[in-house]
Amino acid sequence: MSQAEKLPTLKRHKLNFAFREKLNSVPEGFRHNYCYQCSACVADCPANNYSDSFNPRLILLKAILGFEDELIAPGSEIWNCTNCYTCSERCPQDVRPVDVIIALKNLCIREGKAPALVTTVSDSVLESGMTTKVTPLAEKRRSEYGLAAIKSSPVDDIKKILEDD
Amino acid sequence: MKYTPFFGCMMTTKYPWFDSSVRKTVASIGLDLVDAEGFTCCPDPIYFQARDKMDWYTVAARNIAVAEDAGHDIITTCSGCTATLSEVNLALKEDEELKEKVNKRLKKIGREYKGSINVRHAVTVLRDDYGLDRVAETVTRPLEGLKVAVHYGCHLLKPSRVMRVDDPDRPTILENLLKAIGAEPIHHDKTLLCCGRACMTDSIPNSMVADIMDSIKNQNADCMGLICPTCFDEFDLGQIVLGRKLKRTFNVPVVYYFQLLGLAQGLTPEEVGLNMHKVKAERLFEMAAA
Ligand code: SF4
Ligand code: SF4
Repeated sequence: MSQAEKLPTLKRHKLNFAFREKLNSVPEGFRHNYCYQCSACVADCPANNYSDSFNPRLILLKAILGFEDELIAPGSEIWNCTNCYTCSERCPQDVRPVDVIIALKNLCIREGKAPALVTTVSDSVLESGMTTKVTPLAEKRRSEYGLAAIKSSPVDDIKKILEDD
Repeated sequence: MKYTPFFGCMMTTKYPWFDSSVRKTVASIGLDLVDAEGFTCCPDPIYFQARDKMDWYTVAARNIAVAEDAGHDIITTCSGCTATLSEVNLALKEDEELKEKVNKRLKKIGREYKGSINVRHAVTVLRDDYGLDRVAETVTRPLEGLKVAVHYGCHLLKPSRVMRVDDPDRPTILENLLKAIGAEPIHHDKTLLCCGRACMTDSIPNSMVADIMDSIKNQNADCMGLICPTCFDEFDLGQIVLGRKLKRTFNVPVVYYFQLLGLAQGLTPEEVGLNMHKVKAERLFEMAAA
């Protein structure tokens, strides 16, 4: 389905401006307020160029109109953003669309609506201090290349600094 | 000059030969890498940032604070680590309120983020602190005739407000560093395209990787040259996995810049780990044997 064909579905939604307040409460979420829907962020967006549905301007529009159910979900299109930051280069309003998308992702996590992979990878940072695993093979290879053994990460420090303030 | 290296999870555990290639090659140029104790994952700019931005600022600030105690700039070798540490460093330097919040958390472990150092990718340090001529001086085996298809990856250049390394639409830093070691940089249609790793559905990165591989093949490059272990993963192992799916063979060797620098400085293909890659860079083995 082309993006143009998808647009009429917008009519079926009730506007939900309260969502804007929610988005404002997440770091960098307030930037969505600057968007004037010019589309400058779209043409060089790789996720847009390589899919039929991803469009940073439409994500911003949905945020502005409060299409919460579409945006805040494990299957939300926001998860297809490649984090390439090209949109931030193009946007004349300093919206930094990718940062708004990240703010939306933070809301997904807060509401338990993120894809499992996000929690699996980030949990590993909390548990071991790393995103990858220290295996005997990794240690063997390191010594073959003359590198020091891997020191365990100060995970207790991470736990302490991330406790509720 | 002294720097604090930050190699990151991917290189430390999966690609140690990139780590050792960086150490050996930059030492010849004159950099003094002094390891610091107590780093964790940067943390990663995709999943960890998506989880909770405030936590992302906090863990990154802790890493920067560890380096601040050592007193030298951080030198990064992975675009992901570069993205996280550079962006958080600037955010905390620009926003006093955010810095206070983060420091309140760091205080619990007796640390403080001060904002006293910079974070720079190793290629930026080579260009700006030593210069292309100094890089060229260390070359004993110029890689003449080697055509390297440049892949920038996203986070050396963007967001340019943070990175301030080069023009994100017309960069020259990697081309110039390749010329300094005698190689011929090849600009292709997809030189600036992202590797797609962060997407949750396969179809987008799959099409991107296939397009990049085809675009490189069209230019008859000998290999692809890049500066990030995650991009490397996506293209070296990635092209094999994708090839199986599409019943195609791409056969585009992928090489990390510091491996090429090592070869040009006279190291063997094995010393820089070229034998470990899924797709072997035949041309480089031939050049080293000649
Ligand atoms: S970072 Fe911006 S340009 Fe890149 S994929 Fe995401 S929305 Fe598109
Ligand atoms: S995010 Fe920026 S570039 Fe994109 S539509 Fe809004 S104002 Fe235009």
